[in-house]
Amino acid sequence: MNEVRNTDPVTVELSGRIDSGNASAVETEILSGLSGKTNLPLVLDAEKLEYISSAGLRVILRLKKNYPDLCVKNVSSDVYEILEMTGFTEMMRVEKAYRVVSVEGCEVIGEGFNGKVYRIDKDNVVKTYKNADALAEIQHEREVAKLALILGVPTAISYDVVRVGDSYGSVFELLNAKSFAKILAKEPERMDYCVREYVRMLKKIHSIEVPEGKLPSRKARLLKSVARIKDSLPDGLGEKLERMTEAIPESNHMIHGDFHTKNIVVADGEVLLIDMDTLSTGHPIFELVSMYNSYVGYSEYDPEIVIRFQGFNAETARKFWHESLAAYLGTKDEDRINEVEEKVRILSYTYLYDWGNRHPAAVGEHGEETMALWKGRLVELLKKVDSLVFEAPTDEKAPAEELDVEADESRLMAVTAFVNRQLEKTGCSPKTVSQIDIAVEEIFVNIASYAYAPGKGRAAITVEISGEPEEATIVFKDSGIPYDPLAKTDPDTTLSANEREIGGLGIFMTKKIMDSMSYEYKDGQNVLTLKKKLS
Amino acid sequence: MLNINKTSEEKTVVLALEGRLDTTTAPELEAAIQEVLPGLTELILDFEALEYISSAGLRVLLSTEKALNGKGTMKICKANETILEIFEVTGFSEILTIE
Repeated sequence: MNEVRNTDPVTVELSGRIDSGNASAVETEILSGLSGKTNLPLVLDAEKLEYISSAGLRVILRLKKNYPDLCVKNVSSDVYEILEMTGFTEMMRVEKAYRVVSVEGCEVIGEGFNGKVYRIDKDNVVKTYKNADALAEIQHEREVAKLALILGVPTAISYDVVRVGDSYGSVFELLNAKSFAKILAKEPERMDYCVREYVRMLKKIHSIEVPEGKLPSRKARLLKSVARIKDSLPDGLGEKLERMTEAIPESNHMIHGDFHTKNIVVADGEVLLIDMDTLSTGHPIFELVSMYNSYVGYSEYDPEIVIRFQGFNAETARKFWHESLAAYLGTKDEDRINEVEEKVRILSYTYLYDWGNRHPAAVGEHGEETMALWKGRLVELLKKVDSLVFEAPTDEKAPAEELDVEADESRLMAVTAFVNRQLEKTGCSPKTVSQIDIAVEEIFVNIASYAYAPGKGRAAITVEISGEPEEATIVFKDSGIPYDPLAKTDPDTTLSANEREIGGLGIFMTKKIMDSMSYEYKDGQNVLTLKKKLS
Repeated sequence: MLNINKTSEEKTVVLALEGRLDTTTAPELEAAIQEVLPGLTELILDFEALEYISSAGLRVLLSTEKALNGKGTMKICKANETILEIFEVTGFSEILTIE
């Protein structure tokens, strides 16, 4: 029945049904268990409570009078609904019951300063938090992720909060998700793909304007770091740093704040940005600062750090940073890249040096040498750089979206879904979508069946919508054996059923459905281009 | 996704298809036909709720037509416009019975 446990805080365990039939008996039982003590922080544990009627709710209300800090925990969703409907969730602290998830033996797929991310089964990951009272943090991240999604950022939003050990975790559905960090570590030949998609995502979020007051300013945060370290810099360089930081223009454009390769994942072919708790607004230099730190800054003294954190070595990290910066700025001009990088590094070292001062234990085993290196480079750069402002790249036409998948029939649904997502943005008819789907299926299945047989390989698909009237250009690339599907003779469509061959229809149908189809073998790749007008 | 709804009356079997007949689902139709083929005289494929067909689906239709080889008939009914066009360009409208 309903039992009072003299724990701290005192807990009353409610169970079964509490309705007009037993409410007064329950009340007597609870009050006698409490033996007249009042003004305690009382907890009602509703784990075993199945149902509560208004008679039961009145008991809780009366308890609340004598125990103003009363809180109801472990509430099932049915009971929560009753408490919400009756306004009880507004009057007192009511906590839902959380599913308990064990992460013992689960693969760790990510680790940050605030916790770890575990894969709990094929399609789900749970993000855990070091902080025992992480609910506020989880709530914040959820709200920020929702805002990002509404503003057009492809991201994952947690669909459940669970108990993990003594703390909480948030659960995300991530189908076949793989981070760019893992791709770079295991498949270094896909560096170009990663750079391209990484920069596309970067430009996408930087192009988003955030309604005022929704996200914190990154500049304000950096200025605090500047204020804390400026007196430790010689020759008035601290004041120069402060002046230059203040001169960076404010911006209401979104920045992620922790934009490194562990936070970009490919899930079922779609590139997603995760870990939204650092989302803020500001000039893109602040984003580049956190990127530089992830790939170079933190590990500048001890290159082992980047391997531990990202899973790939310092050389790959530097290369990825350099190529991403070049692609982001849209230039191959090393002087221009270097000029921007020096501005970025000033704020990077500022951030790191301040961070190291405040968290000496986190800097690593060579703390003193690392701090000296950061400070030394900061001073050196401050002497030669006179402004932190640079022209943010204006976004030209967005490059075509690309899907990079294993060339396997089982991926057909992901391929079709990807193409249809691009077509959805246009006004083309369901019939045209169906026709393009057929062509895409025929070509993809062809690559999956023959390009790498008997081995395995990958295929890349891009869809570009252009022109007036709109035209879709779909390009398939694979690195399999050179094969020109157009060289094949068309089947004779005038033969009788018994004379017709079973195969050979796919390419023929594609030719008939699409407006044009062309093939070339270029840089070791089969490149097949399909075009069709959308109206 | 493909749903196959089977109804039969004596030696006539009706398979009503719903969804997409593509590389992934064509083997399902093939299996369903294999199961009913022995002993039937008429096979009716109801395409009313079929949205999509690719060459993998056409191959199943052609091999069924060949397997029947005059011992029975196969009839396709209520196909949508996109599918009818596919039958047209591939010459299937000449070799299959389409209503």
